[in-house]
Order: sequence, then structure tokens, then C-alpha cells
Amino acid sequence: MKFNFRVSPNYRSPLSTQRVMWEVTGAISVVLAFAVFYYFTELGTDYGVHALLMILTSLTVAIGTEVLWALFYKKNIVKHLNSSFPWVIALIFVGTMSINRPLYVSAISVFAGVFFGKLVFGGFGHNIFNPAGVGRAVAALSFSGFVTNKFADVVTGATANQVMQGLGWVITKPEAVDSFLNQFGGLTNLALGLYPASIGETSSVLLLIVGIYLSVRKIIDWKVPVTFIGSIFIFTYAIALFKGMGVWYPIFHVVSGGAMYAAVFMITDPVTTPTSSIGRILFAMGVAIFVVIIRIKANLPEGVVYGILFMNMLSPLLDQITDGWVYKEMKKYTIQIGTLFVAGLAVILLVASQISYNEPVVVTEPVVTVNLKGEPVVISEQTSPTALIVSETADGDVTTFVVNINGYAFQSDHSDDPKPNTLEVKINTATKVIVSVSYITFSDSKNIGDKTDSDVFLSQFVGISIVDDTASVDVVSSATITSHSVVKAVNAAIAAALD
Amino acid sequence: MSLLTGPGREHLNGHKDETLHNDIVLVKPKKEVFVPLNNGSSTKVDVYVNEGDKVFVGTLLARRNDHFNVPIYSPVSGVVGAKKNMMHSVLKPQEHLIIEDDGKYEKVESFKPLDYTTATHEELVNFMMEAGIVGCGGAGFPSYLKYKKPENINTLIINAVECEPYITADYRFTKENLEDMLHGVRALLKMSTAPKAIIAIKKSKKELCEQLEEAVKNDSSISVFKTPDVYPMGWERTLVYEYCKKRYNRLPSEIGIIVNNVTTAIAFAQALKYGTGIVEKVVTFSGDGLNNPTNVRVPFGTKISEVVAQIGGYSSEDVLVIAGGPMMGRTIPTDEFVITNYTNAITILKNEKVESIECMRCGRCNDTCPAGLLPVRINNAEQAKDVDLMVKLNADQCIECGLCTYVCPSKIDVTEGVRRAKRVMALRKA
Repeated sequence: MKFNFRVSPNYRSPLSTQRVMWEVTGAISVVLAFAVFYYFTELGTDYGVHALLMILTSLTVAIGTEVLWALFYKKNIVKHLNSSFPWVIALIFVGTMSINRPLYVSAISVFAGVFFGKLVFGGFGHNIFNPAGVGRAVAALSFSGFVTNKFADVVTGATANQVMQGLGWVITKPEAVDSFLNQFGGLTNLALGLYPASIGETSSVLLLIVGIYLSVRKIIDWKVPVTFIGSIFIFTYAIALFKGMGVWYPIFHVVSGGAMYAAVFMITDPVTTPTSSIGRILFAMGVAIFVVIIRIKANLPEGVVYGILFMNMLSPLLDQITDGWVYKEMKKYTIQIGTLFVAGLAVILLVASQISYNEPVVVTEPVVTVNLKGEPVVISEQTSPTALIVSETADGDVTTFVVNINGYAFQSDHSDDPKPNTLEVKINTATKVIVSVSYITFSDSKNIGDKTDSDVFLSQFVGISIVDDTASVDVVSSATITSHSVVKAVNAAIAAALD
Repeated sequence: MSLLTGPGREHLNGHKDETLHNDIVLVKPKKEVFVPLNNGSSTKVDVYVNEGDKVFVGTLLARRNDHFNVPIYSPVSGVVGAKKNMMHSVLKPQEHLIIEDDGKYEKVESFKPLDYTTATHEELVNFMMEAGIVGCGGAGFPSYLKYKKPENINTLIINAVECEPYITADYRFTKENLEDMLHGVRALLKMSTAPKAIIAIKKSKKELCEQLEEAVKNDSSISVFKTPDVYPMGWERTLVYEYCKKRYNRLPSEIGIIVNNVTTAIAFAQALKYGTGIVEKVVTFSGDGLNNPTNVRVPFGTKISEVVAQIGGYSSEDVLVIAGGPMMGRTIPTDEFVITNYTNAITILKNEKVESIECMRCGRCNDTCPAGLLPVRINNAEQAKDVDLMVKLNADQCIECGLCTYVCPSKIDVTEGVRRAKRVMALRKA
């Protein structure tokens, strides 16, 4: 018979840190799975696959980094992973990224988050900064311009916060409000998340459900997201009243820029937030204040991430100022919350008094029409590109021509490594009509020539008779040279077809 | 204000069903009992009998004689033996008086019974002291002190909450002694000078709730107060706060409340009626380390090993023997110690390994601390040996209820850290 000694109590809650982390893992997985599903079904396989690859890359890098760490310090790998939870960082990080980021950006950022954000501080439980937040900040600061060419359409368009940034974070003209919101399909659509945004905030409604689930399961403290979202709402509603805007403004702040995502998954991170209930409330309110100020004044759409990282630094201080015998400190706590609220509101209104509406300048360029068979207007010596027919394959009546043509980048040498664009022109040789024109590869300058890769422009060619000498298309304004190059390529195909 | 502080309590899996529905089993010592010659932390005890003396159940053996006055009556009849130093449930060896049990249980009246309805307040308080009535909630605090000078008392709370997991001794004892309980409550009510008494019990104990309500329905001064099934609902401060939403500094009498355990009320009633002190105890023997968890009625001074052997033995070769419940009870590294006159439970658990990992600073301990302390901060202060911070965090207000360790998802011994902090603070004071 063995009688042991162990300090009391000898009774333990079934809830373990491992289970807490697995429940968070499950919750974030649901959010990411919905996003991947959305990308697959609404935007196409390319997007879905890329989203999956981003998740996979992040997971691999995060877990790989920790495995190497464990090997280096000769720890049991399984035991280390089971008390370190790197995959949670990876998944939360991916949720903060937008789909158009190349995989290596995810890889480098996750590594930075896990290694510099967590391991060097002593690992799980000792890190000061939210590791996923560190990763996101690295991506934002070091790789802001790095986007994949693959997704040169709606999703790479400006996020709602970037558009708002262009407007100066305030819209005082009522008619401009509607047109602003309509870009994203209205407030409801914004809330649903069906607009360009980070992967994790694909649906605010889903985040709300997941947040409630985690709160009910007592995995997260419901007071934290509620204080955070509530504070953002109140502060920005104050700005709205101050600037004469409607209730759409606070709602916009709440549902955009990853606020909901951060509310559920980032500011609830136990390690980097204060330990007392009151400390967490102050923390959440502090992040809200920073988010609003950073958004409207520093004009950074990543306000949420920087707000979290900044408040992470203050967590030890918040722990310190809330120390004491809780039952005797009620008055102190009430004063602390009141003071932070009033101070935050005052600073925010002061900052808000400095912002004003930047009315977008609408440039109405004259529509330039080129005759299809005519020679392109000579803009410079280099603007007479030569079209090169790469291949020609007949399939029944339809012949497909693959044509290489130098675009704007090549001609103006605006790019480090210019390559010709490749177009596919399909012509029905029986009816002598153009069936379709599309890009196979696009190597032209971003945000300039890529405007020609649009239905509006390319569909103009469809149905044009190749024997019609008077046919013409409208060029894309501010992408004139590339438009002309497309015309030239189509012309070459027509010439070959008539041959 | 729990919005700012966290709930300060937690529902636990009570494991009460193991013993709740079974009758109390009578257990006798094999051949001798060991009467601890201490009371709580005090060892200042005068012994009135000598080796070889013949004693009866109820013979005055000894008396605690410092600032408190607590008599100790013999739990068996037989012959007084030698004194022996042996392990005690306070986890320190204490002096015990051996009494050879003759198995006859011949009784003597320890003192004259008393009719509380005609007795004066002073007579009742003296009677309570003379009867050796101690708080039966587990701490063994002499009860008469609470009633010495009652001032502006508005409520007497009879504590039948029994919130520690596994323990059902109060439940069974109350259920089988409802008449005596009411008798005791009425006597205590008179002593307290309060106009009303409430019997606090968890609402989850439906059967007993109904029985109690039925029993007090014709008495307008006594009512049943149902509490939520959370821990530590039976702690005086948590219970008082639940009842009147008020907190106090040292004693509940500051806000007009006296709290007494339900078993204490029954023991008092039996003393009044039959002239007997506390000589036997109803004790819950429960936990997964036992083959047959059981409530036993046993003369105090009986060894744990003897009781376990009589109720079916251990279910494992590797166990923790806990004097009390698993939350607050002390683990004793032997079963060679005895039931005291305030023991209410012995919990025996299989020794399962607990693996702790790093603190993730989730603050669950802070949110659930019923004393309103910040256990993780106290642990941090203790690790940093920052005594000033421990003082600021009022570590000495900890009652070691164990909830911080219980809720810790990283399985850290949080309570032990606070205990160390308390010791450091006590050393500095001294």
C-alpha cells in the first residue's frame, strides 16, 4: 500500500490548457473553412487553392520552427508541441492576411511571429506580444507591396478601409455615403464580409456565432470582445455625431478592418493580455482607442494589429495598476474605467477635429476610340510593338491564335523584368467573326496595363467581323498603350486568319 | 459587481451520489481509540484522567485551557492507557490519549440536560461551552464564542450547504435527525437573539429541501434558503454574500449575522436533550480510492485504517488519503491517524499523475477566487519574493479553498503558491 503526499486541493477541473487551445483551433478552423469554401465557390478554384496553400504554408512553418526549437534544446517534440500550440498562431495569422499575398510572405511572417514573437521570449506563456499580430505586422511593414499577380481582379482591389483611408476617414456628403457603401454592396454585405478583406473576416456573422460559442464554453471571456466592439462603436459614433454622419459610420468601423476577427481571436489571447477581469476590460478599451486613432489619424488600415501590439506592451502595467484586494478596490476600478473612457473619447474627438473629407477627384477622360484595323497612335518610339503569333490551332471552325505582344511595361521599361503579354484570340474562320479575346499570361505593369484585362474591354472584340474594316473598340483610359497592344495582337490574328 | 471581478465561484462535479442515498453505517474501533489531546492548533490541554482509570462514554477526559475552553469527553468505555505521539489530521504528530475500548459502551451523563426554553442566555452559553460544541463544518472552532455577546444580530444562518465534493455527512446526519436539528436551531436562535433563522442548503439537494420546508412550515421564524450548486457556497463569506449581498471585515456579526453548521446545531440539540457531548461523528468515507464509499457513524479517536478495513478496503494500491474533502482537506501520508471530534470526511483518491505546463495567464484563478484575491499575481509575487506586493495583494486573506488550483487549466498548484506567500507574510509579521 502506498500513501502519497500531495498539496491540496486534489481535485481538478476537467478543463485543460490543451483543451482550451483545441477549442480555439476548432473555432478558427471553422472560420477559415468558410473562407476557403467562399473562395472556391464564389471566386474560383485558383483562390480556394491559394487560400489552402496559405494555411498549409503557415502551419508548416509554425510547427517546423517549433520542432527545430525543440530539437535544438533537446526537448521531447510531442510534449513541446502539446504545451506550445504553434498551429494556433499559424491559423490566427492566416486569418489576418488577404488572399492576394504570395506564399513566401506568409512563410516569413509566420516564422517571425513564432520565433521573434514567442520563442525568444521563453515560449508559450512568456511572450509579450501577440505572435500572430507580430507576424501580421511583419507582413504589413516589410511586404506591403508584395502581391501575387495571379489575382488581378476584384479581390486585389482596395479593402474597405483602404478606400476609406483615401477619403480621409470621414464622409460628410450624404450622397457620397451611399456610393461609398455601395462599392461593397452596402452595410449588410460589409457585415457578411463578401468584399475584399482579410481571409478571417470573410463573415462577421460567422465570427459573431463563433465568438458566442467560445464565450458560452468559457474559452474566452465575453467581456473582452464586448468591451472592444462596444468601445469602437461608442467612440466612432461620437465622431459620427461630431462630424454629422449617420449610424452607418460606427457600424462601418465595427464590421471592417478585421475588428470582429481581432475581437474574437486576438485580443482574447490570454498570454498577452492582463490576468484580472478589470485589467482585460481596460485592455480591450485601450485597444479600441488605439484602433480608432490609428485608423483616422495615422491613416493605417492595419489599426487593429498595431492597437493590439501597443496594448500588449501595457499588459504588465495594467496588471500592476489593478493589483490589490479586489473587493476593496471597486471604487478604484470604476475610476480607472471611467478615466480611460473619458480620456479616450477626448483624444479621439480631438483627433477627429483634425480630419476632413477628401472628396475623390473624378477624372473624366475622353473616350478614345481606335479603329481596329488602323495603326496604333504613335505615342513614343517604342509604342509600335510587334505582334508575334506563337501558335495557331484549329478546332473545327474555330481557330485559336496565341499571340505575344509587348505591353506598356516592356515599352516603357517600368518593370525590372519586362516580359511580353500573351493573348489568346479565337476566330471562327467559317463565319469570320471573333469568338473571344483573353489573356493567357499578363506581365505588364500592375495597376496600369492590367486594366485591359477586363471583360468590359475584351468583350468589345467579341462578335466583330474580321472583314469589317470600320470596326472599332474603346481603349481603356490610363491604359492606352496596353489597349493598343491588344488591338495590335488581335489585328495580327485577324491577318493570319485571313491568310 | 461581479461584472468587474468575475463570479468568485464555480460549479464542481460533486460526486455526492456515491454516498448520498445510503444509510449511515455504524463502525466501531477494534480495540482502542486515540483521543487527540489538542484542539485546532492549540495543544494546551489539561488531562484529568490517569493511566489505568476506568472511563465511560461521556467521562470528561481533558479540557483545552488557554483562551478557549473546550472539554473533551470519552468516546468509548474502557481503561485509560498511555499517551502516544502520532500523526494527526492537521498533518503534524500530536499527543493522543489511548483508551482501551471494552466494547460495552457504558454511558454516563456528561452534564445535566437543559431545557433551552426556560434557560437564560448565560446558562445556554455556559452549557454550550461545557458540552464542548465545536463547529462541525471542518474547522472545529468553539461555537460558544459566537453567542457570548450577540449585538444587533438580525439573522442566524444554519449552514447545510456542504459544498465540498464527495462529502454527504451533513446531508445524511440532517436527514436522519430532522427533529433534533429543529430543536438545535431553535435553541441557537434564542442564544443569537436574532428574530429569524434561515437554513441554507443547495437547491440541487431537492429531497432534503422539501423535507426541510415541510418541517419548518409552521415556524415563522425559520425558513429555508436555497443556494446555487457552486463552490465554495458553504464558506461563511460566500454564503453571507449570497444571502444579503454584503461583505464584512472579520466576523459576520459585524453585519448582524451568525453562521453555524447544521451538524453543530444537531450536536447541540443532542447535548441539550441527552446530556452528551460530541463523542461520535458521522463521517463520509468517499472517493475512487475506496471500494465502497460510505457514511459511517464512529466514535471519534478511531483510526482511519480500521474504518477503511471495515467498509470494504481500498480500491487501489496507490492512494491519497485526505482528511476532509478533496478541495480543502490535507493529504496525510498514512492511514494511521484518527477521526477527531470535528472531522466530517475522509476522502481517498487514486493517485493520478498531474502534469502541469506553463501558466498562460488566463486569469481564471483571479475570476473565481471567492476571497476576491488575484492568485496568479500572488504566485508571481511569491516567485519574485516581493513581500510588499504580497501585502498589497492581501495574500493573508486566502482561506485556501483550493478553487484557484481547481480551475487552473495548466494544472499548476496555485493554492500552494498562495500558501507560501501567506507563510512569508506571517514570518515578516513575526
